[in-house]
Amino acid sequence: MKKNKVKVQDISKPSRQLVELDPKEFMKLPHPYEDWDSQKELKQVTEDQRNRLECSLDGHVALGLQKIESKEEQEQFVKKFLEGLKKLLTKENNWTFLKPLTLSLEYCAKCQTCNDACPVYVSSGKKEIYRPTYRAEVLRRIVNKYLKNQPDFMAKLTGNDIELNYTTVMRLVELAYRCTLCRRCVQTCPIGVDNGLITHELRKLFSQELGIAPVEIHAKGSVQHLQVGSSTGMVKQAFVDTLEFLEDEMEEKVGKKIKFPIDKKGSEILLIHNAGEYLSWPENPEAFAILFDAAGVDYTISSEIVGYDGVNYGLWYDDVQLARVAIKHAQIAKQLGVKKIVVGECGHAHKAISVIADRVLNKELNIPRESCMALFEDIVMNDKVKLDPSKNDMPVTLHDPCNMVRLMGVVEPQRRILRKIAPKFREMEPHGVYNYCCGGGSGFAIMPSINFPDWKYNISGRMKMKQVLEAFQNEIDPDIKKMVCAPCSNCKGMLRDLLEYYEVWEKAGIHYTGLVEFIVNAMVDIKEPFIEWPMI
Amino acid sequence: MEKISFLQILNYSAVIVLFLGLLSKAIKYFTMPINLRWELYPIPHEKGRPHGGSYFEDLNWWTKPREKTLIGQLKFMIPEILFIKALYHDNRKLWIFSFPFHFGLYLYIGGFILLLIGSVLTSYINLSSDLFIIKIVQSLAIIFFGIGFILGIFGSIGLLIRRSTSEELEGFTSPKDFFNLIFILLIMASGLISLILYDKGLIAARVYINGLITFNPIVSPNPMFIIHIVLLSLFLIYFPFTHMTHMFAKYLMWDKIKWEDEPNLKGSAIEARVDKALGYVQDWSAPHIHTGTKWSETATKGVEENEKK
Repeated sequence: MKKNKVKVQDISKPSRQLVELDPKEFMKLPHPYEDWDSQKELKQVTEDQRNRLECSLDGHVALGLQKIESKEEQEQFVKKFLEGLKKLLTKENNWTFLKPLTLSLEYCAKCQTCNDACPVYVSSGKKEIYRPTYRAEVLRRIVNKYLKNQPDFMAKLTGNDIELNYTTVMRLVELAYRCTLCRRCVQTCPIGVDNGLITHELRKLFSQELGIAPVEIHAKGSVQHLQVGSSTGMVKQAFVDTLEFLEDEMEEKVGKKIKFPIDKKGSEILLIHNAGEYLSWPENPEAFAILFDAAGVDYTISSEIVGYDGVNYGLWYDDVQLARVAIKHAQIAKQLGVKKIVVGECGHAHKAISVIADRVLNKELNIPRESCMALFEDIVMNDKVKLDPSKNDMPVTLHDPCNMVRLMGVVEPQRRILRKIAPKFREMEPHGVYNYCCGGGSGFAIMPSINFPDWKYNISGRMKMKQVLEAFQNEIDPDIKKMVCAPCSNCKGMLRDLLEYYEVWEKAGIHYTGLVEFIVNAMVDIKEPFIEWPMI
Repeated sequence: MEKISFLQILNYSAVIVLFLGLLSKAIKYFTMPINLRWELYPIPHEKGRPHGGSYFEDLNWWTKPREKTLIGQLKFMIPEILFIKALYHDNRKLWIFSFPFHFGLYLYIGGFILLLIGSVLTSYINLSSDLFIIKIVQSLAIIFFGIGFILGIFGSIGLLIRRSTSEELEGFTSPKDFFNLIFILLIMASGLISLILYDKGLIAARVYINGLITFNPIVSPNPMFIIHIVLLSLFLIYFPFTHMTHMFAKYLMWDKIKWEDEPNLKGSAIEARVDKALGYVQDWSAPHIHTGTKWSETATKGVEENEKK
C-alpha cells in the first residue's frame, strides 16, 4: 500500500483534513498554461472558518455546514442520517430510484474501471477521495454493516470495514458535492453500476431527511423558484420589466421592434428559458425572439411564477422539489393550452422536464416536451431564415452539456447546424455522448461558497479547460478571436468563470456564447454582427 | 437396490438452492416499483443514430413512430456478453484476465449443457451412443471442459495476482474477493485434474450425469471428480447470495435502466405504474416535505401553498 494513501475507512477518522490538494499534482494544462499551476495557489479557508465549518475533507467548502459541538447532538445527527439511509431503500420513500440504487449498491465488482473516466479524479492528480467509487463504497459499506447488522469481524471479511460516526457523515455531506453527476463513469462500468446515481441519492438523503443542501440550490434555488417565481429571485413584475428592456435593446441591435409574446393562450409552443439568461446573457432570449419572429414560430413565454424560469434544481438533490417544479411547469402549459413545451438552452432543464419528469407528469399534465435544438435544426436546415455562414468566420468549437447529450441523447442537431453555419467549426475531443462536463454541473456553477470556486476552476473544470485549449491549439494566438459554443446556461456560467479565472481571453483569445446567437449572427437580414466580443 | 448417494443429494439440493436463490432475486427486482427514467446514451437500440442520439433529436418526436433496432442492440450485446468488449476498451489490464476467466466459465457451463444434452438423448430418447451426433456432442463437451478449465484457471490466477498487486485495487479488495476467486480456481483446477488424470473421455462424468438426470444411484466416480462435484455444489449454493450474480443484474442495469427510454404515453402501462407509485405515502422528515403524505400530495401541496403566499 502506497504510503499515506487514503483508504475508504479513513473517512471516519477525525483529522484536520483528509486530503491535501497540491496544484503541482494536478493534471497538466496545454499551452499557454504550462507554468500556470506553479504560479497559482489555492485559496485556503481561514482558521476561524476551519473552527466553525466542516472543511476536513479537502479543505474546501461547498456547503458551509456548521460544526456540531455537543456529543448528544452529534449522535442524533448520525442517527438521523441512518434513518434517511433506511428510507432510501424503501419503495414508499424512494420509488423514484429504488431499483437503480439497490442494483448499484449490490453489484459493484470494485474493479475501478470507472476511475479514469472521471474528470474530477483525473484532474486532481488522482486523489483517492475523488474516485467515483470512493463515496459509493463508503455508502455501500455503511448499508452493509449498519443496515444489515454485520458484526465487526464479518464486516472486515466481507469488505465492509467502516465506522459510521459524526466525522463520516459531515465529510459525506461535502463529498456528495465533489461529483458533477455527469455519469461518465457509468459509461465505462462493465456491469452498469451508477456511482453518479449513488451521489445523487446521497444528496437526496441529506436534503429530504436532514434538510441539508447548498443554500444556492435549495433555499435560494428551488424554494425561491417556487415561492418568488425564479431561482434568480426575479419576481413577476421584474420579469415583465426585463422583457420590455430587452425589447428596446433588440430594437437597437436589429432596427426592428420585436415583442416577446407573453401569456398568449392557444400558442403552439410554451418556450421556457433558464431565467439566468435574461439577467446574465440577455442576448440569448433576444436571439430566440429574433429568430422565432423571422421564422414565424407561434410561441409564448409565461409570466406566471415558476413558468418564466425553466430551471429545476431538484434534479440535482431532491425528488420532491423536482416534482413540484416540473408539475408547475406542466400546469402552466396546460392553462395556456399550448401543444408543446420547448426548453431553451439549458441542459438540466432539458433533462429534468423531458426525461426525469416523464414519470411524474401523468395524464393531463403529460404535455409533449421538446428540445430547442430540434426546432433550431428545422429552421436552419429547412432554410426558414436566410443565413450567410461567412458571417460566422471565427474558429468555433462546441461544448456538449451532459444533460442534453449523454443523459438525453440530443447530440446531432446542434452539430448539423454548426457545420452549416460556422465554416471554422471543429470538435473538441472527446465529444458527443462521451463529452466531459464543463465542471459546473449538478449546481456547481451557481455555488460560490468560500473557497469552493477555486476547487471548481482547478479540479472539476480543469478537463474542460484542457479540451477547449486543445481545440484551438493551432490558433492559440490571442489576436485570433475564437468562440466556444455552449448551448446551456449552466455551462455558460461555468465557462464564463473558468475563462475569467484563467485569463483565457487575454492569453488565448477564447470567448463563449450559446448556439442561437450563431444562427442570428448569420442571418442575412441582421446587418450588424450579433455576437459580441469582450472589451479589451 | 442401491440408494441415492449423499453426493447426489448435495447436487440436487444445490440446484434447488440455486434456482430458489435466483428466483427470489428476480422477484425482488421485478416487483420493485417503476423508477424515474435514468437512461444513459448511447443506447444501441435507437435506430439510425450511430452517434448515440435519441428520439428527442426529432422535431415533434411524439408524432413519429418509435423506431428500435434489435440488430443494433445485438451487435452491441453479443460482443459485450461473449468478449466483454467494453472492458477491452476501458481497462485492458483487467480484461487480459477477466475475459479468459469469464469465457472459461461460459465454456464450462457449455460443457455441462452438452453433457446434459448427450445424456437426455441417450437416456430418455434412447439414441445409440454410437450415433455421429452423439459423438459430436461428447467430443465438443471434452473440448469445452478442457479449454474452459484452462482459461478459468489462467483467469482466476491472473485476477488473484491483480487483486494482490494492483495499486488501483488496493483498499477495495476484501478477503471475500480472494475467497471467491480461490473458490472458482479450485473448481476449475479439480475439474482439469479429473479430466486429465482420471477421465479423459468424460466417461465417468457422463455416467454420473446420466445417474443424476434419471435419479438412479451412481457408481463411485474418481476422487478428484468427487472433490470437483462437491466444490461445485457448494458454489451453486453460495452463488445466488453473492454479487457474482452480476451476469443477471447486468440485464437489469443495462436493459431496464441505462437503455430504458420508453416514453410515458397517455393510457400506457407506464402511466398506470407511475400512478400507483405516486400514491405511496412517504415519511421524509425535512421541513420542506409534508411528512406522511402521498407523493402526489406533497408534490402538489407545496406548490399550492406557495401560490397562496
